[in-house]
Amino acid sequence: MRMKINWVFMLVLPVVLTAQEINLNGYVRQYTGALLQSGNEYSIVQNTLNLNIEQNRNKVALKANPYIYQYPSKEMEFAVREAYMDIFFESVDVRIGKQQIIWGKADGVFITDIISPKDLSEFLLRDFSEIRMGVTGAKLSWYKNDNTFEFVWLPVFSPTIMPAADGIWFPRLKYTVPATVNAPQDVTASLENSEAFAKFSSMRSLIDYELMAGFAWDDDPAMHLIKQVDPQTMQLTGLTVNPQYHRLALGGGSFSTTMGPLVLRGEGAYYHGKYFNTADPKYSKAVVQKNYLHYLLGLEHTLWNWKLSGQFIQQAILDYEKTIDQDENENTITLLARRDFLRETLTLELFSYIGLNNNDALIRPRLYYDLSDGFELQLGANIFTGDAGSFGQYDENDMVYAKVKYSF
Amino acid sequence: MNSLKTNYTLILFFIILPVLTSAQEKPIGLEVMQKVYDRPDGNDMQSELAMTLTNSRGDQRVRKIRQFVKDMGQVEKKIMFFLSPADVRNTSFMNWSYDEIGKDDDQWIYLPALKKTKRISSDSKSDYFMGSDFTYDDLGDRHPTDDTHKILRQENLNDEACYVVESTPKNEDYMYSKTISWVIKDKWIGLKKEFYDEDGELLKILTVKSFSKIKDYWIISESEMKNVQKNHTTNMKLQDIKIDFGIESNKFTERMMKRGIK
Repeated sequence: MRMKINWVFMLVLPVVLTAQEINLNGYVRQYTGALLQSGNEYSIVQNTLNLNIEQNRNKVALKANPYIYQYPSKEMEFAVREAYMDIFFESVDVRIGKQQIIWGKADGVFITDIISPKDLSEFLLRDFSEIRMGVTGAKLSWYKNDNTFEFVWLPVFSPTIMPAADGIWFPRLKYTVPATVNAPQDVTASLENSEAFAKFSSMRSLIDYELMAGFAWDDDPAMHLIKQVDPQTMQLTGLTVNPQYHRLALGGGSFSTTMGPLVLRGEGAYYHGKYFNTADPKYSKAVVQKNYLHYLLGLEHTLWNWKLSGQFIQQAILDYEKTIDQDENENTITLLARRDFLRETLTLELFSYIGLNNNDALIRPRLYYDLSDGFELQLGANIFTGDAGSFGQYDENDMVYAKVKYSF
Repeated sequence: MNSLKTNYTLILFFIILPVLTSAQEKPIGLEVMQKVYDRPDGNDMQSELAMTLTNSRGDQRVRKIRQFVKDMGQVEKKIMFFLSPADVRNTSFMNWSYDEIGKDDDQWIYLPALKKTKRISSDSKSDYFMGSDFTYDDLGDRHPTDDTHKILRQENLNDEACYVVESTPKNEDYMYSKTISWVIKDKWIGLKKEFYDEDGELLKILTVKSFSKIKDYWIISESEMKNVQKNHTTNMKLQDIKIDFGIESNKFTERMMKRGIK
């Protein structure tokens, strides 16, 4: 039935668009990736149709971004990433509906950028426009000269989408005994459970900066553990994992400025009452609440036509206890080198996340070539190094891939 | 003594006067380039820019941009909305350029896929704009005092009487070793410009294809840059030009970069 509705939608859409003079653009993409280990199995074979439907009527506008992921060997995914209406006043804009909301200055790191949850179905390998999901809510933006005040209200909580439990991107479980992982406990949709965020931002000649605060839900669940112990031997025999979402308050900011040829940027946030897993038996469900800092500093520079960018990121747990699973300070760096050739039709890029605590990394060399305007061929690899950590856990998932994309 | 002084004064008068008179009739190179720089072009302008890139095989790519420029006294603000090709549609670029000598431009780019406005460095003036044959520096207004200028000759080009001015950069690290400009007398439009690379070899030729008077301002509406070493060209055509249209200052903000052309 769902499939039938999808095809009816696709057939009717062009007629509706013509009638209403709606702008239609988007892309079709074929994406095939193969693992370097495991007998070169395909890690992904995906066909994508992504549509942007827009209409502007002076003081009001709409946008919808439906998309289809079609797979040869599993069920097709049809969803709507964004579907919102804009109302433009003299110095106020209001956006209502499902929308992606992106805050912060960091590249590829989520510090104050926590409103739109992440789709981690394919870890961090998808384009960021596809990783960030739309959230249903209302955003009010008030503009005064080069300053903006934004208020966001999300009536319904949307959590991170985790990879399929039987897929290659499901995080490695660290438990030493058999564990039963239950589905996360839903957060009831209610006024009381809504989320609210506020941001002040300013864009000036000297510096751009943002100050933000939020009363949210942590998009990632805390893993509450129930231990099964053999009453005779008192040995741990099993675990039941109950993922639960918790409230999270945070405040932070970001900035970006230039110093001659350098672009300097920073971002940081203080998270109040985030849950961490702990081995300390005094915590019955193996979780403990701690305050937490997450921040970065980054530099960007162009040298010999190479765009070079580096970021140092630290996550620091305050009032740390040694039994907490996560390190007190977890340090990561990101590096980017990119250069265009042949009048910007060929681009070489190398992007890396490097985990300093576990000596692990994700290295992503890519080559883009525009066969003609709006028709792009991309070849790349995702190389995971190390044995543990956010990236090392996927050491078996090194892959090469090709994408062909037609934009219209 | 007085008589000698008077004689010297007369001699000096007769020697210097013709030089001064000649200088008034034949301006020095700096004056010519200053007049080109100062040529009035309105307080604000909006237009649609079509940029056609042709490679050595004759293949063409077209980029279309809607742009708005406003002179706000000490700062000139410009915003560009990319209309095509499809994969850069809705990208926007904003530049604030200052009169203050030594103050770098401020630049931002809005990337719709990331939904982010990023501040970028304006230092890379030698980068080519959107893969064209124009560098960011070629598109900007280079201040005449950055170069030393010499009038090589006067000649007619396309039936226009022109000064031919050679400009040599004071900064040796500049991307061109020299440029030669053909400037139309009395209109102060650069009709043609040759760019020489660091080895002194001819690199590019800029030719103005079309210009006209709009609201009492001389406006260049079509020009072509040819890279003679790589044999590719970029044609730039301005259409739908509106001058002194009263563009509001709030057009040049992050709000508009994100909102695009509505």
